Amino acid sequence: MPIPIEDLWSLVPEFWLAALGLLLVLLDLFLPGDRKRLVGWAAVVGLLLVLMPILGMLGTPARTVFFNTYAVDGFAVFFKIIAVVATILVILSTMDALRGHTSFEGEMYVLLTFAALGVCLMAASADLILLALSIEFVSLSSYVMAGYFKSDLRSNEAGIKYFLFGAASSAVMIYGFSILYGLTGETNLYAIADRVRTAPQPALVLAVGMALAGLGFKVSMVPFHQWTPDVYEGAPTPVAAFLAVASKAAGFAALVRFLMVAIEPGPVDWVAPIAGLSAVSMTLGNLLALPQRNIKRMLAYSSISHAGFLLMGVAAHRGDFGAPGLLIYLLAYTFTNLGAFFVAIAVGGRLGSDEIPSYAGLAQRSAGLAAVMALFMLSLTGIPPTGGFLGKFYIFGAAVNNGLLWLAVVAVINSVVALYYYVNVIRVMYLLPAPSGGSASGPVPLRLALGVAALGTLVIGIFPQPFVTLVGAAAMLLRM
Amino acid sequence: MWFRTPGGDLLLDYIPVLVHFVIVVGLTAALPALHALVGGSRPTPPKMEPYESGVWTIGSTRERVPIRYYLIAMLFILFDIETVFLFPWAVVYRRLGAFGLIEMLVFVGVLGAGLIYAWKRGALEWE
Repeated sequence: MPIPIEDLWSLVPEFWLAALGLLLVLLDLFLPGDRKRLVGWAAVVGLLLVLMPILGMLGTPARTVFFNTYAVDGFAVFFKIIAVVATILVILSTMDALRGHTSFEGEMYVLLTFAALGVCLMAASADLILLALSIEFVSLSSYVMAGYFKSDLRSNEAGIKYFLFGAASSAVMIYGFSILYGLTGETNLYAIADRVRTAPQPALVLAVGMALAGLGFKVSMVPFHQWTPDVYEGAPTPVAAFLAVASKAAGFAALVRFLMVAIEPGPVDWVAPIAGLSAVSMTLGNLLALPQRNIKRMLAYSSISHAGFLLMGVAAHRGDFGAPGLLIYLLAYTFTNLGAFFVAIAVGGRLGSDEIPSYAGLAQRSAGLAAVMALFMLSLTGIPPTGGFLGKFYIFGAAVNNGLLWLAVVAVINSVVALYYYVNVIRVMYLLPAPSGGSASGPVPLRLALGVAALGTLVIGIFPQPFVTLVGAAAMLLRM
Repeated sequence: MWFRTPGGDLLLDYIPVLVHFVIVVGLTAALPALHALVGGSRPTPPKMEPYESGVWTIGSTRERVPIRYYLIAMLFILFDIETVFLFPWAVVYRRLGAFGLIEMLVFVGVLGAGLIYAWKRGALEWE
């Protein structure tokens, strides 16, 4: 069976990312130690260029290539945009965060580029084998990045913990995939969809449950969330930002494609368990975020609770709000959460502390930083006119539309609880006096990344129409 | 019925496997138990030595291995696997034609970039 050459054109972004990563490896080798930042700028330029072929695919009809193993549809394109934009911003924020901690600065940009490639592959895989491989690809890059500071005990702990949890949950997930293959005789998601109707139900429940373990680990869904706070706290902060945004987005892309394409036609009712896990995730994440003093741990628990909100969009997938709600929530969350982590990088880099009390009086020391942090906190809570509000609005609408009123009520209560710890950060920044002088504004690339994140958060909230159109197109093409 | 596979065969066909499983577990549990019950135990120093094909043990099992060994070993496995891919490619080279050649060049090129990286970073130095 010859490989259809014309299919290669559909993989231009992936080829470009792979070539970019290899190029960066070689560039890094031949640059002297103090010029390593050039690797980062080369990565940013390369990633900006790859946005062109990705955006060019927005209008093309949905199809699968390479014997139906790889989907080229609006859904995949949407997640590729998120992956590339998030990676660009994370690379910008990394540029000064590594100095003095490691002698492997260039490799970080390489790993981030390859992780972006993995996220793109995860979002577009339409075959269980390719899906498992691309999940491993993202995971392996992330394990290395989480344990990047070799001499820092916490970073080591983060790397080992992430690796052990990841390996175990991947094993369970792949076992689930193999059961699914045994039941249907297919690894292709669309072929499984044809055969899943006649599969015996208990075994299918087992297979879906096991697959959820791996995908739930990636999106840090309860009960597969335990790694999140420790890894976010120990990993370099830009890496934590990447894990909280790009890795989570990839997990949701794979989860949604797996459930809605392959499992939806079958006899298994997956909506009720996902709705239940959604409620548990958002509640547990919120309650555990309340007592946190470390901003990275607080953001980690908040990311667990946001996984719960996003799962609500997965459960409420029917109708006009569900899938677009999930996507627009994810888009707003990308900019907002990246921004919050970038502020943590700026403050942590200047003050050497990630504790929330050390944010005291940030408004006097650097007004701009405090203002954007306040914006991100409000957006994470879901208060207009920020992007977070639009996402919550859509997802709550979807839940009500799908008859999940109880879940919407739980989510509203949780939003109110979340207000407490998000606004607490604003209170500390604005109302408490600064202990000592010294401004805390970051270096230029970090400020650039912060500006883009703040702009994204605001624009999605104030002028949502183009984004609504984009996610509408992305969600409709999903099922082909 | 849930124990029917889509093809219609009963999962009951797997009863022999279950029987086999039970026998294996039972036997592996029974033999050490029997030994402990009726075997008796009179240890002498030579009996307590680990048995290695009748050869005397030399040194400790817990030797420390230099960490460089693992680096070299991993690189060896990587390039060993490369040859595993090269051999079947060589067998069907004529049928794959130019496409196969380009694909293999890309594959070798990626690994080559990795080798240059490892080399330049000093992974091949035993120092």
